[in-house]
Amino acid sequence: MEAQPNTPATSPPDKPARWVMPGLGLFQGLAVTGKNMVQSFYKKERMTTVQYPEERAPISPNFRNFPFLVYDNDPKAGLRCTACSICEKECPPQCIYIVLERDENGKSLKRPKVFDIDLSVCMNCGICAEVCPFDSIYMDGEYELSTDDRFGGLLFGLDRLSKSAEYHMKLRPEQASEVMARRKADEEKKAAAAAAKIAKAKADAEAKKAAAEEKGGEQ
Amino acid sequence: MLPLAAVISEPSLFSLEHLPRLPQRLVELLLGNFGAPEWLVSIAGFLVAAGTVVGVFLGGFALLSLIERKTLARIQNRIGPNRAGWFGILQPVADGIKMLTKEDIVPDKAEKFLHLLAPILIVVPAILALGVIPYGREWTPVSLELGLLFFFAVGSLTELSVFIAGWASGSKFPMLGAMRAISQMISYELPLIITALGVVMVSGTLSLPHIVEQQNGGFWHWNFFTPWGFFAGILFFICSIAEANRCPFDLPEGESEIVAGHMTEYSGFKYALFFMGEYLGLFAISALGITLFLGGWQAPLPGLGFVPTWIWFFGKLAFVIFLFLWIRGTYPRVRIDQLMRFAWLCMIPMALLTLPAAGVWHFTGRGLLSWVLVVPLLLVPWVIVGVIFNKRLAAATRTYTFADG
Amino acid sequence: MIPLLILAPLILLAAFGAVWMARPVHAALMLALTLALVAVLYLALGADFIGLVQFAVYVGAVAVLIVFSLLITRPGDEAEEIERRPRSLVTGLFCTLPVLAVLAYTAVFGSNIKLIPWQPKLSIAELGEMLFTSHAPAVLALAVLLTAVMIGAALFAREPDKPQDDSSEK
Repeated sequence: MEAQPNTPATSPPDKPARWVMPGLGLFQGLAVTGKNMVQSFYKKERMTTVQYPEERAPISPNFRNFPFLVYDNDPKAGLRCTACSICEKECPPQCIYIVLERDENGKSLKRPKVFDIDLSVCMNCGICAEVCPFDSIYMDGEYELSTDDRFGGLLFGLDRLSKSAEYHMKLRPEQASEVMARRKADEEKKAAAAAAKIAKAKADAEAKKAAAEEKGGEQ
Repeated sequence: MLPLAAVISEPSLFSLEHLPRLPQRLVELLLGNFGAPEWLVSIAGFLVAAGTVVGVFLGGFALLSLIERKTLARIQNRIGPNRAGWFGILQPVADGIKMLTKEDIVPDKAEKFLHLLAPILIVVPAILALGVIPYGREWTPVSLELGLLFFFAVGSLTELSVFIAGWASGSKFPMLGAMRAISQMISYELPLIITALGVVMVSGTLSLPHIVEQQNGGFWHWNFFTPWGFFAGILFFICSIAEANRCPFDLPEGESEIVAGHMTEYSGFKYALFFMGEYLGLFAISALGITLFLGGWQAPLPGLGFVPTWIWFFGKLAFVIFLFLWIRGTYPRVRIDQLMRFAWLCMIPMALLTLPAAGVWHFTGRGLLSWVLVVPLLLVPWVIVGVIFNKRLAAATRTYTFADG
Repeated sequence: MIPLLILAPLILLAAFGAVWMARPVHAALMLALTLALVAVLYLALGADFIGLVQFAVYVGAVAVLIVFSLLITRPGDEAEEIERRPRSLVTGLFCTLPVLAVLAYTAVFGSNIKLIPWQPKLSIAELGEMLFTSHAPAVLALAVLLTAVMIGAALFAREPDKPQDDSSEK
């Protein structure tokens, strides 16, 4: 390739190149940095850094870091999780550990006895939140998760994972309200279905009764 | 005679002007009072005087390491270190503790003895060079007749120690860094010495205190404010940036290219010694520049003689160091071929030109005639070289052996 | 006399090391040490100017150039170098012994050696004046020689002119 003369990329091609004194750019650069330095002492809006422990930058609504479990009203009974273990199976690094709670007869109570997530293994992919069919697990916005306890501090159990639906609403209003609306609709539908079922059962019973009566009448 | 009486008998000891020499005189008087032999008194006095200089500049080194970070931060619209102590004033202490308590790692393939020798050798010339600078009218630690020559002679030891550091590490980045450092230092030492020679020609002496004495009486008597001295001073400043390995000529330790150059395989206190050598070298070369061109400890205006002379010197030193920081915060690093081309095709011819200019200045009486003769003699080639360099040489594209096919 | 007694063995040792070291870089560093010690000897003898110049030129420039050229050359085989040592030692002694013998003979039996009387130290100004008055021809000759060397080096360093490539111009 033929060596091209270096033309500054900023100068438009139609404008004839103006002769500039060699070395002038050096002083322009010094002026820029000098201005930066002087103004940084009195112009607050110039400063780009945030003094972290004292002040924090607001996090984006789409920032997601670590999963948490949602409960409605009561941290124990209101837990949405049914210990179905779908997230446990889907988790790529397999950092979730779930034990189903059973009563004394061995019947499933449909809630987790143990729900552990290992922070040191979790890679924050969010697949658990995507696959959950019960709107139970969502990604958190927490980022100050460091600890000086290597083993206990990095294993999050139910007590540290469960957070209220209000917290979810506050963290991600859009997502949470959509979920709440859906759940409400589902519940209403379920209630309606249950009502319909009851009505149907009643109707069936009545029909049976009527039929029996009819039969009896025929006899 | 009691020590107190001896001290009182020398009233000038307590003036601000003599403050830097107070420890030395006190020790000498005390020892003399207790009947110590003559040679012991003079050796103790020398040691204390050397200790004063080293102490002042080690304190300056600690302070500069903080101020540099603060200044760079302000240039980049940040605040800088502000956690350790009030406004981060304890940051150098924290850094020092960190450096001292770090593990000292010596690579397996290193030459153990030379690896240890290099950081020591790099601090020695900087401290030796600081010893001959006149800091004040009453404060020249060692007044040598050949002070300037001594400065450059011990300064040349730096190159050897950089080479030893790079070679003894037994690793490739230090080796590349050392090669870069040596070629850069050799190239820029030439114009540095040549520009300093102009001052020697005009002053007629190699003794630094005498060079300062000759620039007395207001700033218009300083060498920098003569036509040849102006050009020589600028060249000297550029060369001293390269000699001190500062940005934009910090190729020997370019972080993004060769990790840390010849310091890559050093850790802990040895690394701190390299750091210290670098900063002391920066102080030394700035102090020499001030002595040669900016009038040393001379006050800028004749009426300002009541301020102690060493305060003027350190004020000028602070100004020059600030220029270094400002430049570091502004310019990007140059490429190695640009660096060498700039040294050999621009710096050395221009530096050589200041020699005849200084001669003309000296022999035409330093008056109006000299101005008329010397200014065009320097300005015309300066502009010509500048234009040529700007157009052709600096813009020459580099051809790559493999990337261009 | 005392500086000489201390420094001379050191200089000899360093010089011997410069010859003996198998690795070229070690030898070069020992050479630098030798030159530095010679500079110290000059300083101890009261020849400040020549001592400092020796330090600046030989330690600062010549030794650095030697190690720099070692950096960019391929290292030789060290084991072979060590194997060759006995042979080299004999050859070296064969070459140096006559010189030493002549020196020793003149020192012991030489009658026409005169001790130069002690002269007062030359100041740097006097030295400069002598160089540019009584010794001016020598300085000029040296300057011409060095200029010729510089021009020659510049010619060597120039890239050879590339043959014009016509295919790129269309």
